[in-house]
Amino acid sequence: MAIDPVFAVAAGLSVAAGLLMVTRRNPVYSAIMMLVAFLGLAVVYLKLDAPFLAAMHVLVYTGAILVLFLFVIMLLNLKPEEFGVEYPLPVRGAIGALCAGLFGLLALGIWNDPALRQPFKATPPGFGDVKAVGIELFGPYALPFELISVLILVAIFGGVVLAKRKL
Amino acid sequence: MIAQYLVLSAALFAIGAYGALARRNLLILLMSVELMLNGVNVALLAFSKMHASIPGHVFVLMVMGVAAAEVSVGLAILISVFRNRKTVDTGDLRSLKG
Repeated sequence: MAIDPVFAVAAGLSVAAGLLMVTRRNPVYSAIMMLVAFLGLAVVYLKLDAPFLAAMHVLVYTGAILVLFLFVIMLLNLKPEEFGVEYPLPVRGAIGALCAGLFGLLALGIWNDPALRQPFKATPPGFGDVKAVGIELFGPYALPFELISVLILVAIFGGVVLAKRKL
Repeated sequence: MIAQYLVLSAALFAIGAYGALARRNLLILLMSVELMLNGVNVALLAFSKMHASIPGHVFVLMVMGVAAAEVSVGLAILISVFRNRKTVDTGDLRSLKG
């Protein structure tokens, strides 16, 4: 079965933007590349019949996390000599080879498994929309959902305590 | 087919792992961790579609919540480190080294 063209474009965009993100020296360029990668991933989520999560992904990642990153970059106001010294090229090359090997092993294992190459069965109508996710979220998974709110409350306190100049 | 989505997931995880291991800028390190979490989300959604089961979507929402909490605390630590040490280079932060 051939690779879906919409998926191919979105996935290629995310991977290319991800590669640029981890190799740029200036954090502002990295943040913009992260935006491109996340928007590509939102298209992939839509292809996976997850419209609600695609919307949440755009809201949380590009709306909240990316803006937070850009705010911190602006707040630090780094000069080019403050970006930090990178590891020497041979070290980075070795780590790159290691990660490429990790990817190669995973991809080889995935691609050679015939069970993973079956076409998707049709999902029931309404799969992945707000109602379907909400019924699960507030039914069997209500306790973890409430615990997430506690975690985020702790993160708010942690952020204030850590970043406040003087309490 | 699900294999293409899993290969994308593996690619994003490997790129994120490279960024987290090979870069010394704390900001880019945190961004790489976000990329790795996103790679896992793609795999969760792909398996969710494969089995036509919604709980995978709930797990992805949990991962998003934890990622938001993690990045806010991480960036707060980064700001406090930069205020005290005037650096975002992990190579300069070795006061715990014996």
